Amino acid sequence: MERMPTVFNYCPRDGRPFRVDEQICPLCDFQSLHAPWIQSPQKAPWRKLLYVRQDYPDNYVDDTFLEELQKNANVRQYEYWSVVLESTIITQHISSIVIFVAVFIYLLNKQLSAHALIIIGTAATAIGYIFWDWSNTMLTPESNFQRRKIFKGAALFFLTLLGLTPILKTLTVTTSPDTIWALTVILFLANLSFHDYGSDNRRNIKYPGSLSTNAAIFASVVLASRFETNLHVFGLMAFAVEWFALFPMLRRQVRSVSIRGNLALTIVLFLTATTLFTRISAAIVVIYILGMAFVTFVCPFWLIWIQRYKNEIHGPWDEARPKIQHGRSVDYN
Amino acid sequence: MVSDFFYPNAGGVESHLYHLSQRLIQRGHKVIIITHAYGNRTGIRCLTNGLKVYHVPIMVVFQEATPPTLYGFFPIFRSIVLREQISIVHGHQAFSSMCHEAIIHARTMGLKTCFTDHSLFGFSDPSSIVMNKFLKFTLSDIDHVVCVSHTSKENTVLRAALTPQNVSVIPNAVIASRFTPDPSMQDPNVTTIVVISRQTYRKGMDLLVAVVPRICRKYSKVRFIIGGDGPKRIDLEQMREKHLLHDRVDLGSIKAHEVRNTLVRGQIFLNTSLTEAFCIGIVEAACAGLLVVSTKVGGVPEVLPRHMILFAKPEEDDLVEAIERSIEMIQRKEVQPAKFNDELKEMYSWVNVAERTEKVYDAILQTRDPPLIERLRSYYGCGVFVGKLFCIMIALDYLFWVYLEWILPRDEIEIAPKFPYKKFKKMCQRADKEDELEHNH
Repeated sequence: MERMPTVFNYCPRDGRPFRVDEQICPLCDFQSLHAPWIQSPQKAPWRKLLYVRQDYPDNYVDDTFLEELQKNANVRQYEYWSVVLESTIITQHISSIVIFVAVFIYLLNKQLSAHALIIIGTAATAIGYIFWDWSNTMLTPESNFQRRKIFKGAALFFLTLLGLTPILKTLTVTTSPDTIWALTVILFLANLSFHDYGSDNRRNIKYPGSLSTNAAIFASVVLASRFETNLHVFGLMAFAVEWFALFPMLRRQVRSVSIRGNLALTIVLFLTATTLFTRISAAIVVIYILGMAFVTFVCPFWLIWIQRYKNEIHGPWDEARPKIQHGRSVDYN
Repeated sequence: MVSDFFYPNAGGVESHLYHLSQRLIQRGHKVIIITHAYGNRTGIRCLTNGLKVYHVPIMVVFQEATPPTLYGFFPIFRSIVLREQISIVHGHQAFSSMCHEAIIHARTMGLKTCFTDHSLFGFSDPSSIVMNKFLKFTLSDIDHVVCVSHTSKENTVLRAALTPQNVSVIPNAVIASRFTPDPSMQDPNVTTIVVISRQTYRKGMDLLVAVVPRICRKYSKVRFIIGGDGPKRIDLEQMREKHLLHDRVDLGSIKAHEVRNTLVRGQIFLNTSLTEAFCIGIVEAACAGLLVVSTKVGGVPEVLPRHMILFAKPEEDDLVEAIERSIEMIQRKEVQPAKFNDELKEMYSWVNVAERTEKVYDAILQTRDPPLIERLRSYYGCGVFVGKLFCIMIALDYLFWVYLEWILPRDEIEIAPKFPYKKFKKMCQRADKEDELEHNH
């Protein structure tokens, strides 16, 4: 029986239309002038189509089965040292919490005067602000900061804080110390877990970040009730705001400006935390150092090792993500 | 046939079950359907040609699906199966926990099992991961699986770790005679684009919202008929408000029996789904004589011959371009969609589906029953921890069965009489003839 070769206007394997000058589909080498019996005289090759009756059983498995399967298509291979470097984001945050706790203990034991804390805090904030302002104008020269607005806001905020100090002092004064310590630990854990480590954008207004900051500020409000004078309360609260609301912004800025600066900042924070705590508890220092080492050196190794079990499967059955122009972006995943 | 989804609920699975059962009855098999109770529709109902439906009283939790009861369903299931002398249990749809349970219990009772998967799942979102684990559990010890498209087969094989040889591809079908084209219903002055789908995110309604105003701006003689309902309805209404398209975009929900009459009013059918195992909607539209424009996702490229369908990527620009091409094709009369019906009648018929399903049944009836220990071994392979858990569940299931055999002995269960289909058919024919005679008189 003589058969005419089938002329395809489209490729049956991938549905790509053939142009007039194309003999072979550039995607899968399928010939537009298809005469399969030249290759196999008995049977036409199986095609992944439902609308043709094919001379194959329904459970036939072709060689092309799972051809479109992609494994680990979007997986990023990690490098040990770059992960170590990235882990500084976490260690910096842990260090800053430890330092804050240390400062509180010093203040409570009267080893640090409230005056000194306020002065150091203000000076550090000023230096930090100058750096932040300078690097921002360097990075994005066209953006105009409203410096006056920032200063006005800062002054207003600290005056309000000063005014609220007596209230904050007596807010949780009747709560027993045990409750306060336990609550503080929980709140700092919340701060640690909900801190926004990931996003690099400097104008960060995401919910997880604010939850974390609120937890830290609430922890300091709770702690502030352990002080006797208003000045102490104000000192700690001001420090908390600078330390948990402003300092993370500065750290993010440092990270985006220079890697070395970031590393230096990590080491400085680490050394400060260690020295401050050596006078309080040696056991905590040991735990702290071990924890830092674990996060910095063991966890990256662990992450890279566990990558081998990564098995990401993609294929034509995946839900497509619609691309919509004109600013109406829709992303549910 | 077991599934949570059956009439009066409307949908693809429901009609699949009904039509497949009808064709199997016509081929001389006895078919019953087990589903859960819908409102006050409980107990046993008889449908056309003696298709018996058991509405088992189980609580419904979400979108007509029942919660997993583990063993709660077993006693009633066993009674039904014994009463009706069932030899093959065929479960439908992975969402249905009733179907999973039925398959496990049927295996315990030594019956043959089969499963049809109607949808696609990814591998990355939490609900799919849980679903896939369940599926792996039930399908560890199944005789055969049926999928509706080749893409769906690949997906199911991966999800449930099956041998691909145990998975058959049997597409859905349409009753082509119910979707006959009717060019007189079309408005000759304008090109009408019809969209009929559930209005949800997965059906790509965001794409539709973006595309409709652009097409309307470009062509003054194009109208849209958007049928269906769902959470994205509001977005579509807002789009219509914002672009002042009240006279050109028809929105409204339609009932299942109105689908054909809506379809024939248009020349082009638009499908914007983001994932689709088979998409019966585009087949129905092509049957009704519409040129189809569809996103190229899942099993859609397998469904229609190239001259009936235009593909687009699930992107706004590409979709607009494809619609423009289709409008031009219609206006220049490059295609004759009215002929699609005849071509599709051959391709997707329920008789064909029933024939192929029958082949699957015949094949699984030939297979040997594995002993319990063999079954346990296959469940054990599911995972380090889950494997053991599954084994415990299966062993308990087995013991429960033995207990049921003792407390409710087999021979005390009354056997239901078979529905005399042939006699019924003859009676129907006689009645028809009498009617005709009366008319003639």
